[in-house]
Amino acid sequence: MQSVVEFDNVGLRYGTGAETLTDLSFTLYPGSFYFMTGASGAGKTSLLKLLYLAHRPSRGAIRMFGHDAITLPRNRLPGFRRRIGVVFQDFRLVPHLSSFDNIALPLRIAGISERELRGPVTEMLAWIGLTERADARPAMLSGGEQQRVAIARAVIGRPEILVADEPTGNVDPEMALRLLQLFAALNKLGTTVVVATHDIHLLQEVEGAQMMRLDKGRLSDPTGSLRHPPKPLILKS
Amino acid sequence: MLLDFALPAHDRKLIPEGRLSGQMPWVIAIMLFLTLLVAAAGLTLAAAAQKGGQDLARQVTVQIIEADPIERAAKRAAVTRDLQKFDGVISVTPVSDVEVRKLLEPVLGEDILDADVPVPALVDVRFDAAPSRATLDGIRDSLRGVAPDVRLDPHSAWMAPFYRLMNMLLWLAGAVAVLLLLATSAVVVLAVRSTLNTHRGTIEIMYLMGGTDFQAARLFQRRVALDALLGGFVGFGAAAVVLAILNNGFAAAEPSLLSGVAFPNFGWVILALIPLAVTALAMLMARFTVISALKKML
Repeated sequence: MQSVVEFDNVGLRYGTGAETLTDLSFTLYPGSFYFMTGASGAGKTSLLKLLYLAHRPSRGAIRMFGHDAITLPRNRLPGFRRRIGVVFQDFRLVPHLSSFDNIALPLRIAGISERELRGPVTEMLAWIGLTERADARPAMLSGGEQQRVAIARAVIGRPEILVADEPTGNVDPEMALRLLQLFAALNKLGTTVVVATHDIHLLQEVEGAQMMRLDKGRLSDPTGSLRHPPKPLILKS
Repeated sequence: MLLDFALPAHDRKLIPEGRLSGQMPWVIAIMLFLTLLVAAAGLTLAAAAQKGGQDLARQVTVQIIEADPIERAAKRAAVTRDLQKFDGVISVTPVSDVEVRKLLEPVLGEDILDADVPVPALVDVRFDAAPSRATLDGIRDSLRGVAPDVRLDPHSAWMAPFYRLMNMLLWLAGAVAVLLLLATSAVVVLAVRSTLNTHRGTIEIMYLMGGTDFQAARLFQRRVALDALLGGFVGFGAAAVVLAILNNGFAAAEPSLLSGVAFPNFGWVILALIPLAVTALAMLMARFTVISALKKML
Protein backbone atom coordinates (compact mmCIF):
# COMPACT_ATOMS: atom_id res chain seq x y z
CA MET A 1 0.00 0.00 0.00
CA GLN A 2 1.26 3.48 -0.91
CA SER A 3 2.03 5.51 2.24
CA VAL A 4 1.07 9.14 2.74
CA VAL A 5 3.77 9.85 5.32
CA GLU A 6 7.06 8.10 6.00
CA PHE A 7 9.45 9.13 8.77
CA ASP A 8 12.89 7.58 8.73
CA ASN A 9 15.15 8.13 11.73
CA VAL A 10 13.86 11.67 12.18
CA GLY A 11 15.20 13.94 14.92
CA LEU A 12 14.19 17.48 15.82
CA ARG A 13 15.96 19.97 18.01
CA TYR A 14 15.18 23.62 18.60
CA GLY A 15 18.29 25.76 18.42
CA THR A 16 21.19 24.18 20.23
CA GLY A 17 19.09 22.38 22.85
CA ALA A 18 18.62 18.69 23.34
CA GLU A 19 16.60 16.75 20.78
CA THR A 20 12.84 17.13 21.30
CA LEU A 21 12.15 14.21 18.99
CA THR A 22 14.56 11.38 18.56
CA ASP A 23 14.87 8.55 16.06
CA LEU A 24 11.28 8.59 14.80
CA SER A 25 10.62 6.00 12.14
CA PHE A 26 7.06 5.19 11.13
CA THR A 27 4.68 5.09 8.19
CA LEU A 28 1.13 6.46 7.94
CA TYR A 29 -1.19 4.89 5.40
CA PRO A 30 -4.06 6.46 3.49
CA GLY A 31 -7.47 6.15 5.12
CA SER A 32 -6.06 5.22 8.50
CA PHE A 33 -6.90 6.78 11.86
CA TYR A 34 -4.25 7.37 14.50
CA PHE A 35 -4.42 8.60 18.03
CA MET A 36 -1.20 10.06 19.34
CA THR A 37 -0.80 9.99 23.09
CA GLY A 38 1.90 10.86 25.53
CA ALA A 39 2.55 12.93 28.61
CA SER A 40 2.84 16.68 28.40
CA GLY A 41 6.23 17.57 26.93
CA ALA A 42 6.55 14.18 25.25
CA GLY A 43 6.82 15.90 21.87
CA LYS A 44 3.31 15.44 20.46
CA THR A 45 2.96 19.03 19.23
CA SER A 46 6.48 18.99 17.76
CA LEU A 47 5.71 15.82 15.85
CA LEU A 48 2.45 17.33 14.59
CA LYS A 49 4.41 20.40 13.42
CA LEU A 50 6.62 18.11 11.34
CA LEU A 51 3.49 16.47 9.96
CA TYR A 52 1.90 19.75 8.88
CA LEU A 53 5.18 21.05 7.48
CA ALA A 54 5.61 23.92 9.93
CA HIS A 55 9.15 22.75 10.68
CA ARG A 56 11.81 20.78 8.92
CA PRO A 57 13.55 18.09 10.99
CA SER A 58 17.12 18.45 12.20
CA ARG A 59 17.97 15.06 10.78
CA GLY A 60 16.46 12.01 9.12
CA ALA A 61 14.14 11.76 6.14
CA ILE A 62 10.46 12.52 5.69
CA ARG A 63 8.43 11.55 2.65
CA MET A 64 4.95 12.95 2.14
CA PHE A 65 2.62 12.02 -0.69
CA GLY A 66 5.52 10.19 -2.31
CA HIS A 67 7.90 13.18 -2.26
CA ASP A 68 10.90 14.05 -0.14
CA ALA A 69 9.45 16.71 2.16
CA ILE A 70 12.84 17.88 3.44
CA THR A 71 14.34 18.94 0.15
CA LEU A 72 11.03 20.26 -1.14
CA PRO A 73 11.63 23.75 -2.56
CA ARG A 74 9.88 26.58 -0.75
CA ASN A 75 7.61 27.39 -3.66
CA ARG A 76 6.17 23.85 -3.63
CA LEU A 77 5.36 23.83 0.08
CA PRO A 78 1.98 25.64 -0.28
CA GLY A 79 0.73 22.92 -2.62
CA PHE A 80 1.60 20.26 -0.05
CA ARG A 81 0.19 22.26 2.87
CA ARG A 82 -3.16 22.57 1.08
CA ARG A 83 -3.42 18.79 1.26
CA ILE A 84 -3.09 18.88 5.07
CA GLY A 85 -5.76 20.09 7.48
CA VAL A 86 -4.65 21.25 10.91
CA VAL A 87 -6.53 21.77 14.18
CA PHE A 88 -4.25 23.71 16.51
CA GLN A 89 -4.29 23.22 20.24
CA ASP A 90 -4.78 26.98 20.71
CA PHE A 91 -7.20 27.11 17.73
CA ARG A 92 -5.30 29.97 16.08
CA LEU A 93 -8.38 31.54 14.57
CA VAL A 94 -7.82 34.86 12.82
CA PRO A 95 -9.11 37.27 15.48
CA HIS A 96 -10.59 39.90 13.17
CA LEU A 97 -12.45 37.45 10.93
CA SER A 98 -15.93 36.09 11.53
CA SER A 99 -16.61 32.38 12.03
CA PHE A 100 -17.72 32.18 8.40
CA ASP A 101 -14.56 33.87 7.13
CA ASN A 102 -12.31 31.76 9.36
CA ILE A 103 -13.86 28.57 8.04
CA ALA A 104 -13.74 29.85 4.45
CA LEU A 105 -10.05 30.83 4.74
CA PRO A 106 -8.47 27.62 3.33
CA LEU A 107 -10.88 27.65 0.39
CA ARG A 108 -10.14 31.30 -0.38
CA ILE A 109 -6.40 30.64 -0.15
CA ALA A 110 -6.88 27.78 -2.61
CA GLY A 111 -8.64 30.20 -4.96
CA ILE A 112 -12.20 28.84 -4.64
CA SER A 113 -14.76 31.42 -5.76
CA GLU A 114 -17.18 33.01 -3.31
CA ARG A 115 -20.12 31.41 -5.09
CA GLU A 116 -18.61 27.94 -4.78
CA LEU A 117 -17.51 28.22 -1.18
CA ARG A 118 -20.69 29.71 0.29
CA GLY A 119 -22.60 26.39 0.26
CA PRO A 120 -19.95 24.18 1.89
CA VAL A 121 -19.09 26.78 4.54
CA THR A 122 -22.76 27.31 5.44
CA GLU A 123 -23.23 23.54 5.60
CA MET A 124 -20.17 23.19 7.82
CA LEU A 125 -21.42 25.94 10.14
CA ALA A 126 -24.70 24.06 10.46
CA TRP A 127 -22.87 20.82 11.13
CA ILE A 128 -20.92 22.26 14.03
CA GLY A 129 -24.06 24.02 15.29
CA LEU A 130 -22.86 27.55 14.77
CA THR A 131 -25.14 28.84 12.00
CA GLU A 132 -26.38 31.57 14.30
CA ARG A 133 -22.79 32.56 15.11
CA ALA A 134 -21.60 32.83 11.51
CA ASP A 135 -20.81 36.54 11.86
CA ALA A 136 -19.29 36.34 15.32
CA ARG A 137 -15.61 36.96 15.74
CA PRO A 138 -13.52 34.53 17.82
CA ALA A 139 -13.45 36.84 20.84
CA MET A 140 -17.24 36.55 21.01
CA LEU A 141 -17.20 32.75 20.92
CA SER A 142 -16.77 30.39 23.85
CA GLY A 143 -13.73 28.10 23.95
CA GLY A 144 -15.80 25.19 22.71
CA GLU A 145 -17.27 27.23 19.87
CA GLN A 146 -13.82 28.42 18.84
CA GLN A 147 -12.61 24.85 18.81
CA ARG A 148 -15.49 23.81 16.55
CA VAL A 149 -14.70 26.65 14.16
CA ALA A 150 -11.04 25.59 14.17
CA ILE A 151 -12.04 22.01 13.34
CA ALA A 152 -14.44 23.15 10.63
CA ARG A 153 -11.64 25.24 9.10
CA ALA A 154 -9.31 22.25 9.13
CA VAL A 155 -11.72 19.88 7.41
CA ILE A 156 -13.51 22.22 4.98
CA GLY A 157 -10.96 21.63 2.23
CA ARG A 158 -11.29 17.81 2.46
CA PRO A 159 -7.60 17.35 3.26
CA GLU A 160 -5.70 14.15 2.56
CA ILE A 161 -4.20 14.28 6.05
CA LEU A 162 -5.96 15.78 9.05
CA VAL A 163 -3.73 16.63 11.98
CA ALA A 164 -5.52 17.62 15.19
CA ASP A 165 -3.89 18.68 18.43
CA GLU A 166 -6.25 18.04 21.35
CA PRO A 167 -9.33 18.74 19.20
CA THR A 168 -11.88 17.83 21.84
CA GLY A 169 -10.20 19.45 24.83
CA ASN A 170 -12.74 22.25 25.21
CA VAL A 171 -16.00 20.65 24.18
CA ASP A 172 -18.58 18.64 26.07
CA PRO A 173 -18.64 14.83 25.60
CA GLU A 174 -21.55 14.99 23.19
CA MET A 175 -19.84 17.52 20.95
CA ALA A 176 -16.59 15.55 21.26
CA LEU A 177 -18.39 12.54 19.88
CA ARG A 178 -19.91 14.58 17.04
CA LEU A 179 -16.49 15.89 16.13
CA LEU A 180 -15.05 12.41 16.18
CA GLN A 181 -17.87 11.35 13.87
CA LEU A 182 -16.87 14.17 11.55
CA PHE A 183 -13.28 12.97 11.58
CA ALA A 184 -14.44 9.41 11.01
CA ALA A 185 -16.62 10.50 8.08
CA LEU A 186 -13.64 12.25 6.53
CA ASN A 187 -11.54 9.21 7.24
CA LYS A 188 -14.01 7.03 5.35
CA LEU A 189 -13.58 9.33 2.39
CA GLY A 190 -9.87 8.53 2.47
CA THR A 191 -8.41 11.18 4.76
CA THR A 192 -5.64 10.00 7.06
CA VAL A 193 -6.42 11.32 10.53
CA VAL A 194 -3.89 11.91 13.30
CA VAL A 195 -5.36 13.09 16.60
CA ALA A 196 -3.10 14.01 19.50
CA THR A 197 -5.00 13.66 22.76
CA HIS A 198 -4.73 13.13 26.48
CA ASP A 199 -8.24 11.72 26.58
CA ILE A 200 -7.81 7.96 26.64
CA HIS A 201 -11.59 7.51 26.41
CA LEU A 202 -11.46 8.76 22.85
CA LEU A 203 -9.26 5.83 21.94
CA GLN A 204 -12.09 3.49 22.82
CA GLU A 205 -14.62 5.39 20.74
CA VAL A 206 -13.04 4.69 17.39
CA GLU A 207 -12.57 1.04 16.81
CA GLY A 208 -9.78 0.12 14.52
CA ALA A 209 -7.93 3.34 15.21
CA GLN A 210 -4.20 2.92 15.68
CA MET A 211 -2.19 4.37 18.50
CA MET A 212 1.11 6.21 18.45
CA ARG A 213 2.62 6.75 21.87
CA LEU A 214 5.33 9.29 22.43
CA ASP A 215 7.56 9.09 25.43
CA LYS A 216 10.28 11.71 25.90
CA GLY A 217 10.48 12.34 22.18
CA ARG A 218 10.64 8.69 21.24
CA LEU A 219 7.87 6.72 19.63
CA SER A 220 6.60 3.44 20.94
CA ASP A 221 4.26 1.34 18.87
CA PRO A 222 2.10 -0.64 21.26
CA THR A 223 -0.37 -1.86 18.68
CA GLY A 224 2.15 -2.44 15.96
CA SER A 225 -0.08 -0.40 13.74
CA LEU A 226 2.73 1.74 12.50
CA ARG A 227 4.38 -1.27 10.97
CA HIS A 228 1.28 -2.77 9.46
CA PRO A 229 -1.53 -1.37 7.26
CA PRO A 230 -4.61 -0.45 9.31
CA LYS A 231 -7.84 -2.36 9.51
CA PRO A 232 -11.08 -0.76 8.28
CA LEU A 233 -12.36 1.81 10.69
CA ILE A 234 -15.52 1.34 12.76
CA LEU A 235 -16.91 4.09 14.89
CA LYS A 236 -18.50 2.40 17.87
CA SER A 237 -20.96 5.07 18.80
CA MET B 1 1.26 42.10 -10.78
CA LEU B 2 3.02 44.96 -9.00
CA LEU B 3 0.01 47.26 -9.16
CA ASP B 4 -2.44 44.48 -8.48
CA PHE B 5 -4.20 45.74 -5.40
CA ALA B 6 -7.77 45.09 -6.47
CA LEU B 7 -8.19 42.40 -3.82
CA PRO B 8 -11.63 40.96 -3.06
CA ALA B 9 -13.20 42.41 0.08
CA HIS B 10 -12.73 39.21 2.09
CA ASP B 11 -9.00 39.09 1.33
CA ARG B 12 -8.64 42.73 2.37
CA LYS B 13 -10.01 41.79 5.77
CA LEU B 14 -7.06 39.47 6.44
CA ILE B 15 -4.83 42.42 7.32
CA PRO B 16 -7.07 45.16 8.70
CA GLU B 17 -6.53 48.41 6.84
CA GLY B 18 -6.22 51.13 9.44
CA ARG B 19 -5.75 53.97 7.01
CA LEU B 20 -5.66 57.48 8.50
CA SER B 21 -5.31 55.94 11.92
CA GLY B 22 -1.75 54.88 11.18
CA GLN B 23 1.20 57.24 10.88
CA MET B 24 2.53 56.01 7.57
CA PRO B 25 0.33 58.10 5.24
CA TRP B 26 1.28 61.24 7.15
CA VAL B 27 4.99 60.43 7.18
CA ILE B 28 4.80 59.75 3.44
CA ALA B 29 2.88 63.01 2.97
CA ILE B 30 5.60 65.00 4.77
CA MET B 31 8.43 63.25 2.90
CA LEU B 32 6.65 63.77 -0.41
CA PHE B 33 5.92 67.41 0.38
CA LEU B 34 9.65 67.99 0.95
CA THR B 35 10.59 65.91 -2.12
CA LEU B 36 8.16 67.87 -4.29
CA LEU B 37 9.47 71.23 -3.03
CA VAL B 38 13.06 70.18 -3.73
CA ALA B 39 12.04 68.83 -7.14
CA ALA B 40 10.17 72.08 -7.88
CA ALA B 41 13.21 74.13 -6.87
CA GLY B 42 15.35 71.97 -9.15
CA LEU B 43 12.92 72.32 -12.05
CA THR B 44 12.70 76.09 -11.58
CA LEU B 45 16.49 76.37 -11.47
CA ALA B 46 16.81 74.17 -14.53
CA ALA B 47 14.22 76.18 -16.46
CA ALA B 48 15.77 79.50 -15.43
CA ALA B 49 19.27 78.29 -16.26
CA GLN B 50 18.16 76.95 -19.60
CA LYS B 51 16.22 80.08 -20.53
CA GLY B 52 18.93 82.45 -19.32
CA GLY B 53 21.68 80.31 -20.77
CA GLN B 54 20.04 80.16 -24.17
CA ASP B 55 19.49 83.92 -24.21
CA LEU B 56 22.99 84.70 -23.08
CA ALA B 57 24.64 82.18 -25.36
CA ARG B 58 23.06 84.01 -28.31
CA GLN B 59 24.42 87.41 -27.25
CA VAL B 60 27.84 88.87 -27.95
CA THR B 61 29.12 92.36 -27.13
CA VAL B 62 31.59 93.90 -29.54
CA GLN B 63 34.01 96.32 -27.85
CA ILE B 64 35.89 98.91 -29.84
CA ILE B 65 38.84 100.47 -28.04
CA GLU B 66 39.42 103.92 -29.47
CA ALA B 67 40.39 107.05 -27.57
CA ASP B 68 39.27 109.58 -30.19
CA PRO B 69 35.48 110.07 -29.83
CA ILE B 70 34.93 110.92 -33.51
CA GLU B 71 36.99 107.97 -34.69
CA ARG B 72 35.23 105.75 -32.15
CA ALA B 73 31.81 106.77 -33.46
CA ALA B 74 32.90 106.13 -37.03
CA LYS B 75 34.29 102.72 -36.18
CA ARG B 76 31.12 101.84 -34.23
CA ALA B 77 29.01 102.72 -37.25
CA ALA B 78 31.27 100.69 -39.55
CA VAL B 79 31.25 97.68 -37.21
CA THR B 80 27.45 97.91 -36.93
CA ARG B 81 27.11 97.85 -40.70
CA ASP B 82 29.64 95.03 -41.10
CA LEU B 83 27.98 92.83 -38.46
CA GLN B 84 24.65 92.85 -40.28
CA LYS B 85 26.04 90.93 -43.21
CA PHE B 86 26.79 87.77 -41.18
CA ASP B 87 24.44 84.79 -41.29
CA GLY B 88 22.64 84.12 -38.02
CA VAL B 89 22.81 87.69 -36.78
CA ILE B 90 19.27 88.79 -35.98
CA SER B 91 19.94 92.15 -34.41
CA VAL B 92 22.81 94.59 -34.05
CA THR B 93 22.35 97.41 -31.54
CA PRO B 94 25.02 100.05 -31.09
CA VAL B 95 25.18 101.28 -27.49
CA SER B 96 25.44 105.05 -27.27
CA ASP B 97 28.28 106.70 -25.31
CA VAL B 98 25.72 108.04 -22.84
CA GLU B 99 24.48 104.54 -22.10
CA VAL B 100 28.02 103.21 -21.77
CA ARG B 101 28.88 106.00 -19.34
CA LYS B 102 25.76 105.16 -17.33
CA LEU B 103 26.91 101.55 -17.14
CA LEU B 104 30.38 102.52 -16.02
CA GLU B 105 29.35 105.21 -13.59
CA PRO B 106 28.82 102.90 -10.60
CA VAL B 107 32.24 101.37 -11.22
CA LEU B 108 34.44 104.33 -12.12
CA GLY B 109 32.58 107.19 -10.49
CA GLU B 110 31.08 110.33 -11.93
CA ASP B 111 34.18 112.50 -11.61
CA ILE B 112 36.45 110.32 -13.65
CA LEU B 113 33.89 109.95 -16.43
CA ASP B 114 33.35 113.72 -16.48
CA ALA B 115 37.09 114.15 -16.99
CA ASP B 116 36.74 112.84 -20.53
CA VAL B 117 38.18 109.45 -19.75
CA PRO B 118 37.82 107.48 -22.98
CA VAL B 119 35.29 104.70 -22.83
CA PRO B 120 35.04 101.83 -25.32
CA ALA B 121 32.30 101.80 -27.94
CA LEU B 122 29.95 98.87 -27.52
CA VAL B 123 27.72 97.05 -30.00
CA ASP B 124 25.26 94.42 -28.85
CA VAL B 125 24.83 91.53 -31.26
CA ARG B 126 22.11 88.92 -31.00
CA PHE B 127 22.27 85.65 -32.93
CA ASP B 128 19.44 83.24 -33.79
CA ALA B 129 21.46 80.45 -32.13
CA ALA B 130 24.56 80.30 -29.99
CA PRO B 131 27.47 81.11 -32.33
CA SER B 132 30.35 78.67 -32.53
CA ARG B 133 33.93 79.64 -31.75
CA ALA B 134 34.74 79.45 -35.50
CA THR B 135 31.87 81.85 -36.32
CA LEU B 136 33.12 84.31 -33.71
CA ASP B 137 36.71 84.03 -34.99
CA GLY B 138 35.45 84.74 -38.55
CA ILE B 139 33.49 87.77 -37.38
CA ARG B 140 36.46 89.06 -35.36
CA ASP B 141 38.80 88.73 -38.36
CA SER B 142 36.31 90.53 -40.57
CA LEU B 143 35.72 93.37 -38.07
CA ARG B 144 39.46 93.96 -37.64
CA GLY B 145 39.38 95.22 -41.21
CA VAL B 146 37.29 98.20 -40.07
CA ALA B 147 38.36 98.46 -36.41
CA PRO B 148 41.74 96.82 -35.56
CA ASP B 149 41.22 97.09 -31.78
CA VAL B 150 37.91 95.25 -31.76
CA ARG B 151 37.10 92.67 -29.04
CA LEU B 152 34.28 90.16 -28.98
CA ASP B 153 32.83 89.20 -25.58
CA PRO B 154 30.39 86.28 -25.78
CA HIS B 155 28.05 86.62 -22.78
CA SER B 156 28.16 82.90 -22.15
CA ALA B 157 31.84 83.20 -21.16
CA TRP B 158 31.36 85.60 -18.24
CA MET B 159 28.16 83.84 -17.09
CA ALA B 160 29.89 80.41 -17.08
CA PRO B 161 30.76 80.40 -13.34
CA PHE B 162 27.18 81.36 -12.50
CA TYR B 163 25.81 78.51 -14.59
CA ARG B 164 28.33 76.11 -13.10
CA LEU B 165 26.90 77.09 -9.72
CA MET B 166 23.35 76.63 -11.03
CA ASN B 167 24.38 73.21 -12.29
CA MET B 168 25.80 72.29 -8.88
CA LEU B 169 22.58 73.42 -7.22
CA LEU B 170 20.62 71.29 -9.65
CA TRP B 171 22.68 68.23 -8.76
CA LEU B 172 22.25 69.06 -5.10
CA ALA B 173 18.47 69.29 -5.54
CA GLY B 174 18.50 65.93 -7.33
CA ALA B 175 20.61 64.35 -4.58
CA VAL B 176 18.32 65.72 -1.83
CA ALA B 177 15.26 64.42 -3.71
CA VAL B 178 16.87 60.97 -4.03
CA LEU B 179 17.78 60.99 -0.31
CA LEU B 180 14.21 61.88 0.59
CA LEU B 181 12.93 59.06 -1.60
CA LEU B 182 15.37 56.67 0.09
CA ALA B 183 14.13 57.85 3.48
CA THR B 184 10.54 57.30 2.30
CA SER B 185 11.48 53.78 1.21
CA ALA B 186 13.04 53.15 4.63
CA VAL B 187 9.83 54.34 6.30
CA VAL B 188 7.83 51.94 4.14
CA VAL B 189 10.17 49.04 5.00
CA LEU B 190 9.91 49.79 8.73
CA ALA B 191 6.13 50.13 8.56
CA VAL B 192 5.78 46.88 6.61
CA ARG B 193 8.03 45.03 9.07
CA SER B 194 6.05 46.40 11.97
CA THR B 195 2.73 45.38 10.37
CA LEU B 196 4.22 42.02 9.51
CA ASN B 197 5.14 41.48 13.17
CA THR B 198 1.69 42.63 14.30
CA HIS B 199 -0.04 40.21 11.94
CA ARG B 200 2.53 37.46 12.12
CA GLY B 201 -0.04 35.04 13.54
CA THR B 202 -2.46 35.61 10.67
CA ILE B 203 0.30 35.26 8.08
CA GLU B 204 1.50 32.04 9.72
CA ILE B 205 -2.01 30.61 9.58
CA MET B 206 -2.24 31.57 5.91
CA TYR B 207 1.04 29.79 5.28
CA LEU B 208 0.07 26.65 7.11
CA MET B 209 -3.09 26.51 5.01
CA GLY B 210 -1.11 26.73 1.82
CA GLY B 211 -0.86 30.47 1.31
CA THR B 212 2.03 31.62 -0.86
CA ASP B 213 4.59 34.41 -0.47
CA PHE B 214 2.82 36.35 -3.19
CA GLN B 215 -0.61 36.04 -1.58
CA ALA B 216 0.83 37.50 1.63
CA ALA B 217 2.82 40.15 -0.24
CA ARG B 218 -0.32 41.29 -2.10
CA LEU B 219 -2.07 42.05 1.17
CA PHE B 220 0.75 44.35 2.24
CA GLN B 221 1.21 45.86 -1.21
CA ARG B 222 -2.39 46.96 -1.27
CA ARG B 223 -2.22 48.46 2.19
CA VAL B 224 1.05 50.27 1.43
CA ALA B 225 -0.28 51.47 -1.94
CA LEU B 226 -3.34 53.01 -0.34
CA ASP B 227 -1.23 54.67 2.36
CA ALA B 228 1.24 55.97 -0.23
CA LEU B 229 -1.53 57.26 -2.48
CA LEU B 230 -3.17 59.04 0.40
CA GLY B 231 0.17 60.45 1.57
CA GLY B 232 1.01 61.41 -2.00
CA PHE B 233 -2.30 63.19 -2.46
CA VAL B 234 -1.86 65.21 0.74
CA GLY B 235 1.84 65.92 0.04
CA PHE B 236 1.13 66.98 -3.54
CA GLY B 237 -1.76 69.20 -2.46
CA ALA B 238 0.35 70.99 0.15
CA ALA B 239 3.29 71.38 -2.24
CA ALA B 240 0.97 72.71 -4.98
CA VAL B 241 -0.38 75.40 -2.65
CA VAL B 242 3.14 76.45 -1.62
CA LEU B 243 4.34 76.52 -5.24
CA ALA B 244 1.35 78.55 -6.41
CA ILE B 245 2.04 81.12 -3.68
CA LEU B 246 5.76 81.26 -4.58
CA ASN B 247 4.98 81.52 -8.30
CA ASN B 248 2.75 84.51 -7.63
CA GLY B 249 5.55 85.99 -5.56
CA PHE B 250 8.03 85.59 -8.43
CA ALA B 251 5.58 87.13 -10.86
CA ALA B 252 5.08 90.14 -8.60
CA ALA B 253 8.80 90.66 -7.96
CA GLU B 254 10.93 93.23 -9.81
CA PRO B 255 11.44 91.64 -13.27
CA SER B 256 15.13 92.53 -13.53
CA LEU B 257 15.82 90.77 -10.21
CA LEU B 258 14.21 87.44 -11.02
CA SER B 259 14.10 87.53 -14.79
CA GLY B 260 13.17 84.10 -16.13
CA VAL B 261 12.64 82.59 -12.64
CA ALA B 262 9.29 80.83 -12.66
CA PHE B 263 8.10 77.29 -12.13
CA PRO B 264 7.66 75.84 -15.63
CA ASN B 265 4.24 74.51 -16.65
CA PHE B 266 5.63 71.10 -17.64
CA GLY B 267 6.92 70.83 -14.07
CA TRP B 268 3.40 70.19 -12.80
CA VAL B 269 3.28 66.99 -14.84
CA ILE B 270 6.60 65.86 -13.38
CA LEU B 271 5.50 66.73 -9.85
CA ALA B 272 2.23 64.84 -10.35
CA LEU B 273 4.18 61.78 -11.50
CA ILE B 274 6.38 61.76 -8.38
CA PRO B 275 3.63 60.58 -5.95
CA LEU B 276 2.67 57.85 -8.43
CA ALA B 277 6.31 56.81 -8.72
CA VAL B 278 6.58 56.82 -4.92
CA THR B 279 3.47 54.63 -4.71
CA ALA B 280 4.97 52.15 -7.16
CA LEU B 281 8.28 52.27 -5.27
CA ALA B 282 6.49 51.75 -1.95
CA MET B 283 4.62 48.73 -3.33
CA LEU B 284 7.85 47.29 -4.67
CA MET B 285 9.59 47.84 -1.32
CA ALA B 286 6.63 46.25 0.49
CA ARG B 287 6.74 43.25 -1.81
CA PHE B 288 10.48 42.67 -1.38
CA THR B 289 10.33 43.33 2.37
CA VAL B 290 7.46 40.90 2.94
CA ILE B 291 8.89 38.15 0.77
CA SER B 292 12.39 38.40 2.21
CA ALA B 293 11.04 38.59 5.79
CA LEU B 294 8.75 35.61 5.23
CA LYS B 295 11.62 33.57 3.85
CA LYS B 296 13.42 34.11 7.14
CA MET B 297 10.31 33.67 9.30
CA LEU B 298 8.65 30.60 7.82
